[in-house]
Amino acid sequence: MQAPSDLPRDLPKEVLEIREDIRTMRIRGAGRIARAAAIALSKAAAAFVGNDADEFAKYMEETAAFLRGARPTAVSLPNAISFVMRRLREVGIATVEEGRKAVEEAAKEFVEYSERAVDEIGELGARRFRSGDVVMTHCHSSAAAAVLAAAHRAGKVDRVYVKETRPRLQGLIAARVLADAGLDVILIPDSAVRYFMKDVDRVIVGADAVAANGAVVNKVGTSVVALAAKEARVNFYVAAETYKFSFETLTGELVPQVVLSDASLVAPPRRMARLTGRAVVRAPVFDVTPAEYIDAIITERGVISPYAAPLILLEEYGVSAWD
Amino acid sequence: MLEDIRSEVSRGPRGFAQFLLDYVPRYLAARPTSIALLNAVREFLSSYLRAVRSGRSTDEVVPGIIESILSARMAAKSAIAEIGARRLKDGESVLMHSYSRTAMGIVRKAAEELGLRLSVYVTESRPIGEGLKAAEELARIGEGVRVKVMVDSAVRYFMKDVDRVIVGADAVAANGAVVNKVGTSVVALAAKEARVNFYVAAETYKFSFETLTGELVPQVVLSDASLVAPPRRMARLTGRAVVRAPVFDVTPAEYIDAIITERGITAPQAIPLLIREIYGWPPRVPSIHRLLEEVRDLAGAE
Repeated sequence: MQAPSDLPRDLPKEVLEIREDIRTMRIRGAGRIARAAAIALSKAAAAFVGNDADEFAKYMEETAAFLRGARPTAVSLPNAISFVMRRLREVGIATVEEGRKAVEEAAKEFVEYSERAVDEIGELGARRFRSGDVVMTHCHSSAAAAVLAAAHRAGKVDRVYVKETRPRLQGLIAARVLADAGLDVILIPDSAVRYFMKDVDRVIVGADAVAANGAVVNKVGTSVVALAAKEARVNFYVAAETYKFSFETLTGELVPQVVLSDASLVAPPRRMARLTGRAVVRAPVFDVTPAEYIDAIITERGVISPYAAPLILLEEYGVSAWD
Repeated sequence: MLEDIRSEVSRGPRGFAQFLLDYVPRYLAARPTSIALLNAVREFLSSYLRAVRSGRSTDEVVPGIIESILSARMAAKSAIAEIGARRLKDGESVLMHSYSRTAMGIVRKAAEELGLRLSVYVTESRPIGEGLKAAEELARIGEGVRVKVMVDSAVRYFMKDVDRVIVGADAVAANGAVVNKVGTSVVALAAKEARVNFYVAAETYKFSFETLTGELVPQVVLSDASLVAPPRRMARLTGRAVVRAPVFDVTPAEYIDAIITERGITAPQAIPLLIREIYGWPPRVPSIHRLLEEVRDLAGAE
């Protein structure tokens, strides 16, 4: 959490609320977080009181820094903020009114862009599939589901293996979404990933973050699927909007890791009672899949090699390690 | 199952033979993957037929035969514990998957008798969850063993912290592949990638003689939805998704550094050598079918 001294003066209540909702995970999901941040910047700009353009720019920079601190692990948050703030910096404002307009337009553009991105990924990704392909997926991802739904509409994919995705069982959400889209869903335990891999033609998963070296951070178990796919020479695709690419990793930062130790994640309380104090539960939320196991990352800007991740960061967010 | 047989000797020689004819095929058919049982039955029938044919009475020989099979099995487990424990070093991290009494024996021996301090990672081993049973037993060993339970999906995440993997086996095939609880091959693959030693603790009676003549080890795939999620959570998927939960998977020999048997440690590919030592080559082991034919003669063919 940021110290109160970082708080820009006269920030409207709505902006404070959005930041708080992102911080406490009331707003979750990379896309929703990103859109909320863009909207918050827009609302902050609208509420600015004064006539000094330099003051306005300073106020917006402070607001951006304040919002960025809401959730350090959400990669889409700084990216959405960069998208809007870059526009403000580049346009060169003479009046507050120009600045306000630049921010509001950029925020609106980002929101629309982000809403379209998932559909565009679906359309682009579906082209990578061939008729009769059997697919496997892990966890639930809107982008990966969009690809599968589009590939199904195109008459290419009917059957999908969905991993249960312990400990939170997000595989059940994926199973429901994909069944709704008309696919034949086969739900399997995570431990059966290698058993079924020989029946699979392609794997598609989402991403929580893409690092500058092309490694993908996603729900724990993703790297196991990738490893089993590599072994079986099955194509492994990641569907990720460009605002999931993490520019902090370009300057050497590690993507923050989260390891839970809540025993109830693994076993019913009755069984865990017998273990209390004598065994600990370690449940990492994410794992890292190295770029060498990934055949392609499907973004709304095109299908790229994971090694080309820095290109996305430069093109979309204008950030490089040398800034 | 051998205990079940023991109590039936009171039926008299022909009654007992009749019982075996009825009971053995049914029992084995219900457990198609249990190679240890298959071999125990084979051993029992061979010894029983030999003894009865040499003129000894059923009620005299059966308890002794059963006793000797069971005690040989106990001895094999403890020999494996002894041999396997020598492979562990103080302060190491071991990873276990599913529950194996044989593999457990190794860790127990190392911790309790050799006084090694070990950190043991246990996968929960879904969908049955045998990992919890393993964790409970490990936790009871006491101070020397620190237990960490994880979801199956975290196996690659933690593999870099692990020194050795020890698992048991349901069957060892002629080509050195090991059939064990589903997920074992995933652990093996992750171990291979991280250059972590992968050991299988398996008594020689886990060897599947049938695979020598081309048979595949039978596979079992369950489809009970409650294996994946509580019924409440599966309700919205009823009729729209099927569940497929294989019970076993096959780990290829190339992912296995060694099989620890009661006769010593061997490369998985060299298992046939060990079998030759014990049974000759090709191994002289009669099929269950042939043995039951001979039992039928004893029962007085109808």
